Amino acid sequence: MKAKDLMIPLQEYLKPDSTLKEAANILRSAKRDEEKYGVKGLPVLDDKGEMIGFLSMGDILKAVFPSYLSLMDLGHFTWDGMVENLAKKMKDHKVSEMMTRDVITIHEDAPLMECVDHMIKHNVKRLPVLNKESKVVGMLYERDLFFVITRSMLDENSGGAR
Amino acid sequence: MTSEAAAAAQPFVMDNAFWTATAIFLLAYTVIVSEKIHKTIVAVFGAGLMLVLKILHQHEAFHIEEFGIDWNVIFLLISMMIIINLMRPTGVFEYIAIKSAKWGKGEPFRIMAIFAIVTAVLSALLDNVTTVLLITPVTLLIADALEVDPVPYLLSCVLASNIGGTATLIGDPPNIMIASKAQLNFMDFIYHLAPIVVVMMVVYIAVIKLIWGRKMKTRDELKERIMSMNEHDAIKDPVMLKKSLFVLFLVLTGFVFHGMLHFQPATVALFGAGLLLLLSNTHEPHHILAEVEWPTIFFFIGLFIIVGGVVKVGLIKWMSIKVLDITQGNLFATSMVIMWFSAFASAIVDNIPYVATMNPLVADMAGQIWPELSGRALLHHPDLMPVWWSLALGACLGGNGSAIGASANVIVVGMSEKAGRKISFMKFMAYGMPIMLLTVAISTIYVWIRYYLLKI
Repeated sequence: MKAKDLMIPLQEYLKPDSTLKEAANILRSAKRDEEKYGVKGLPVLDDKGEMIGFLSMGDILKAVFPSYLSLMDLGHFTWDGMVENLAKKMKDHKVSEMMTRDVITIHEDAPLMECVDHMIKHNVKRLPVLNKESKVVGMLYERDLFFVITRSMLDENSGGAR
Repeated sequence: MTSEAAAAAQPFVMDNAFWTATAIFLLAYTVIVSEKIHKTIVAVFGAGLMLVLKILHQHEAFHIEEFGIDWNVIFLLISMMIIINLMRPTGVFEYIAIKSAKWGKGEPFRIMAIFAIVTAVLSALLDNVTTVLLITPVTLLIADALEVDPVPYLLSCVLASNIGGTATLIGDPPNIMIASKAQLNFMDFIYHLAPIVVVMMVVYIAVIKLIWGRKMKTRDELKERIMSMNEHDAIKDPVMLKKSLFVLFLVLTGFVFHGMLHFQPATVALFGAGLLLLLSNTHEPHHILAEVEWPTIFFFIGLFIIVGGVVKVGLIKWMSIKVLDITQGNLFATSMVIMWFSAFASAIVDNIPYVATMNPLVADMAGQIWPELSGRALLHHPDLMPVWWSLALGACLGGNGSAIGASANVIVVGMSEKAGRKISFMKFMAYGMPIMLLTVAISTIYVWIRYYLLKI
């Protein structure tokens, strides 16, 4: 099995000039699979369809996280409503400001172990899948790899490579 | 005067080595000011050139105090950094900051004034960069809590940090360097600089009250955010905290008595660092030692060697002759020229390379005025003392003159920008330059009255 066999084909993406508010709408309503809505992250594509970044749930959390809290242990001294306040302040910021620029990707023909390798080494839970033209064609999720692995554990008959 | 007579009057020759060393020195300082290449890389490469071109022999650079690395400065800096790195995780600095904000009762200006004073005191005991690294995050948090503009808080803290750092031997790198070169001890600084720094701080608080005092308003429910913070939550490791405070107390006591006990400050600090490492029960000291700001340390090492090179070839002697020409050997004039020149020079360039150059220059100048004296008797000549103090006051306080005048300024401006509040170069200068001029003016009056009028 290769990356392209397991990936979910790309349906939605974000634009760099969208606001975080618009991005939040797309993230919440994007179709994950047949019955589920809401995704934890989407690639950011420019006008030519090239991926220039990725906006994930973590980036949304970082958007409201003041830089000074990362410098010292001050989490104890925050207050009720701080997150909501900052969320309102940040909603008009652009996707391009908050997205992760160095995205860990995988080629569509990569074997699954390479996907596992990338996820473990780079500590990411989803990988944009690229085709030969370096265009994003789909997303590969940790959850789907988990199902492949556990299915093999449970199924006595299925062996190694097919 | 014929050229032979000129050469006879000068104890150095302007040969190839002289011009090579001068070129390395000027080029290195120009590149450092231009910020095209990281200053540490420039300093280390320049030092390498001085050695490989045999301007300076390795033995001179490593082992001769006059030409080489001042290990007293290096080990004092490293040791203090180790002590702070071990103290930080205990949460003591968060505790102090939150406690200060609560003393301020959530009143915006009261908090600003208390933070400025706390920053000044911490800067006098730790180095300024460490202090602002610890104070700035809390300042931003408090400004957010009160929903006020954080920029006045940040500016008032960093300016206070440069003023406070002037007060003690360990407060600011120029003082550490001057102390080592001039063989001055901790109490000399307390006796000669601390009193006027206290005066400056009183004036400073009055000035920030005038500038920002009336503009700062907040609502009662926001004050409640500050008052409901529990500073005790900040303490993460009470056992280590007790050990750290014990060692810090020991080190500060050591500083107070080091002159009497004939210890160098670096000895006191290194002992403290070793003791706290031992008490910390750390099995793996790697990360504590890795957190030492090695780029700063190597910047010093490189500069000492570069300056050693130009001392050896006589450039510094040539410069000191020129200074004496200008001031006609009048030491009051020399003090004043050095103080004001140092202030403006430190506002434009890093005060560390500046003082590294001025130290041997002042020592050399003294040698020309009193050729019969040497060593401590020369460096501590009563007429020379005000010159050292003027250099310290000018170089430290000059740091406030611009956003690049001191490392602490660069850090605060950077942190502020990260927090989404850019402080432009001009904005910094609009507040920093008047404060610099004011504090240097106070210093001028002080030096004149204390050392030339009252002669105490």
